[in-house]
Amino acid sequence: MSDGVLTVEGLSVNLGGTEILSGVSLAAEQGELVGLVGPNGAGKTTLLRAIQGVIKPAQGSVTVDGQAVGGLSARERGRLIASVPQETGLSFSFTVEQAVAMGRNPHIGRFGTADDTDRTHVQRAIEQTNLAGFVDRPVTELSGGERQRVLLARAFAQNTPLLLLDEPTSNLDINHAIATLDLVRRAVDDSKAAVAAIHDLNLAARYCDRLVLLADGKLRAAGTPESVLTSERLEDAFGIETVVSADETTGSPHVTALSKTDRERS
Amino acid sequence: MDVRQRAVGWSLWLTALLAAVIVGSAAIGPVSIHPTTVLKTLLNAVSLPVGIELSASAGAGTLQVPSTAVRWHSPFSYAVESTHETIVMRVRLPRILLAALVGFALAAAGTVMQGFFRNPMADPSIIGVSSGAAAGAVAFLVIPVAIPFGLGLQGAAFVGALVAAFTVYAIATEGGRTPVATLLLAGIAIQAFLGSVIAYLQLISGEGLRQVVHWLMGHLGNASWNDVAVTLVLVPLLFGMLLAYSRDLNVLLVGEEAAAGLGVEVERTKRILLASSAVITAAAVAVSGVIGFVGLIVPHMVRLVVGPDHRVLLPAAALAGASFLVVTDTVARAGATEIPVGIVTAALGAPFFLYLLRSREVHEL
Repeated sequence: MSDGVLTVEGLSVNLGGTEILSGVSLAAEQGELVGLVGPNGAGKTTLLRAIQGVIKPAQGSVTVDGQAVGGLSARERGRLIASVPQETGLSFSFTVEQAVAMGRNPHIGRFGTADDTDRTHVQRAIEQTNLAGFVDRPVTELSGGERQRVLLARAFAQNTPLLLLDEPTSNLDINHAIATLDLVRRAVDDSKAAVAAIHDLNLAARYCDRLVLLADGKLRAAGTPESVLTSERLEDAFGIETVVSADETTGSPHVTALSKTDRERS
Repeated sequence: MDVRQRAVGWSLWLTALLAAVIVGSAAIGPVSIHPTTVLKTLLNAVSLPVGIELSASAGAGTLQVPSTAVRWHSPFSYAVESTHETIVMRVRLPRILLAALVGFALAAAGTVMQGFFRNPMADPSIIGVSSGAAAGAVAFLVIPVAIPFGLGLQGAAFVGALVAAFTVYAIATEGGRTPVATLLLAGIAIQAFLGSVIAYLQLISGEGLRQVVHWLMGHLGNASWNDVAVTLVLVPLLFGMLLAYSRDLNVLLVGEEAAAGLGVEVERTKRILLASSAVITAAAVAVSGVIGFVGLIVPHMVRLVVGPDHRVLLPAAALAGASFLVVTDTVARAGATEIPVGIVTAALGAPFFLYLLRSREVHEL
C-alpha cells in the first residue's frame, strides 16, 4: 500500500452529450507530484473532478488507495482525496482557523465534534502553511496568496493520501506561486501523492516528478518533464512552435513559445 | 474556545434572556401585574412527577386491571390573586409562548436560508412558503367551500405553504440536482404568481376583506392551544434536524463543489435543509400569518455578534428570534388598540438593524 496511491484506467467523461475525456489512464505513487499540462479546454479540470468523484465517468475507473472511488460515500471520499480548488469560495467571514478546520469534516460524525486528533491536524496544517499569525483573521480580509494558503491548509488538515490541485498558482504572483508549490512539494515528499493541473509549463517542469500532457480530452504523452516537453509534442498539443532549453538556474526544461515575429527574425 | 462550549454558552444566555422577556411580557397588559406576581404564578404552575400510583379499577368487566396514574406534586404554592393567575395562565401565557415559538421557528429558518442561498436577502419566505400559506388561508376565508378532511384555517395555510414550497423545488430540480440560483428564481416567480392570486381573492372577498388583511399582516392574538399543537410538535423536531446538519451547512457555504470534496453529500443535505426549513416555516406561518422581518433581520443581528459558524449561530439566532417576537408582540398588544405584530416587527426591527449596520462595518455575511 505504500505506493500506487492513484490509478486511473481508461477514463472517459461525457458532459452534456460531449465527450470531454476519452480513455485517459494515469497513476500516481506516494511521494510523487504529477503535473497535468495542456491547452485550455484539454480536460484537465474535468479529469481532476472525475478523480475526485464529483462527476461520474462514462467509462473507466478511478482507484485511490485500493478503493474504487465510484462506490464511496462523500465522507469516505473526503478521507482519501483532498482538493485545492481554483476558485476560492471563501465569502462568509469564517476565521482562518475555522476555514482550515473544515478539512476535518469528513473525519467527524454527524453528531460529533472535533477531538484532539482533529485539533492536532488543524494545528499542523496551519504551521505547515505559515498561517499561525492569521488564525483569528476573517478569511474575507486575506490577500489572494494568503487565501490560497488557507485552502492548502484545509486540504492538508484533511490528511488524505491523495491531493488534487486545480491551477493552484494561476491567480498568484510569482513569489506566492513559488511558495505554494514549495509547500505542495514538501507535503508530497512527506507522505502524499498529488496531481496538479498547472498552467505554467516551466513551473510544472520544475516541480513535478512526472507530467501528463492532455489535449482534446486525450492523453498525448506522459513521463518525465524532459520526455514530455518536446517541441514536437508541444506543437501537436498547443498548435504553436516552441523552443525547449534547459533552464540555466534549475536545470529543468524551459519552454519558450515563439510568436510569428520571433520566427521571422530567426 | 470549543464550539460546543460557545454554542451552549450563548444558548444558556439567550434562554435566560427569553425567560426574563416572557415574565416581563406577562406583566404587561390592560391589567398591570407585578413581575414578581407573574413569577409566583409561573412557579405555582410547576408540577413534577413524583411517583406512580396503582389503583384497582372499579370497572364492571370481568378482568380487573389495575390502572396506573402518575402522581404529580407542585413544589410551590404562593398566594396569588386568582384573577391575576387566570390572566397570566389563560390569557397572556399561551399567546406569549406562541410568539416565542413562531419567532424561534422563523429566525431558525431564516438563518438556514441565508446560509443555504449564500445570500443576505434570503428569508424563510424565499421558496414560496409564506405566499403559499397566505394563498391557502385567504382562499379558506374567501371561497365558501368546505375544506376536506376538516382542515381549519391553520390547516389550509399549512397545506398551502407546503404545496408552494414543493412546487418551487420540483420546478428547480432537474436530473437530481437543484441549482441554488434556479431555486431562487423559481421561488420569486411562484411568489409573484401567488401574489396575484391573493390580490384577486382580496378583490372578491367583499365582507371578509378585513379578516383577510388582518391575517396577512400577521397576528398572534386568537390562536388556541389546539391550533398550535402541530407547531409545538414540529418546531423542536425540525430544529433538531437543522442543528444536526449545521456543520454541513458551514461547509456548504464555501461552495458546493468544495463541500462535496469535504465529505458532504451535497444534494441530499440541500434537500434535508430545504424540507426542514419549509416545514418549520409553514408550521409558524400557519398559526401566525405572514410576520415579516424576524427571519430576515434576526439572523443578521446575531451573526454580527456570534460569527458565521452555524453550530453557534443557529441556536443563538432561534432563541434571539423568540425573544424578539415576544417583545414586539407585547408592544403590539400593549396599546389601546391592538395592532398586527407584523407592523411592529418592521417598525422596531428596521431602525435597530440600520443602527447595527452603521455602527459596525457590515457589508457581507
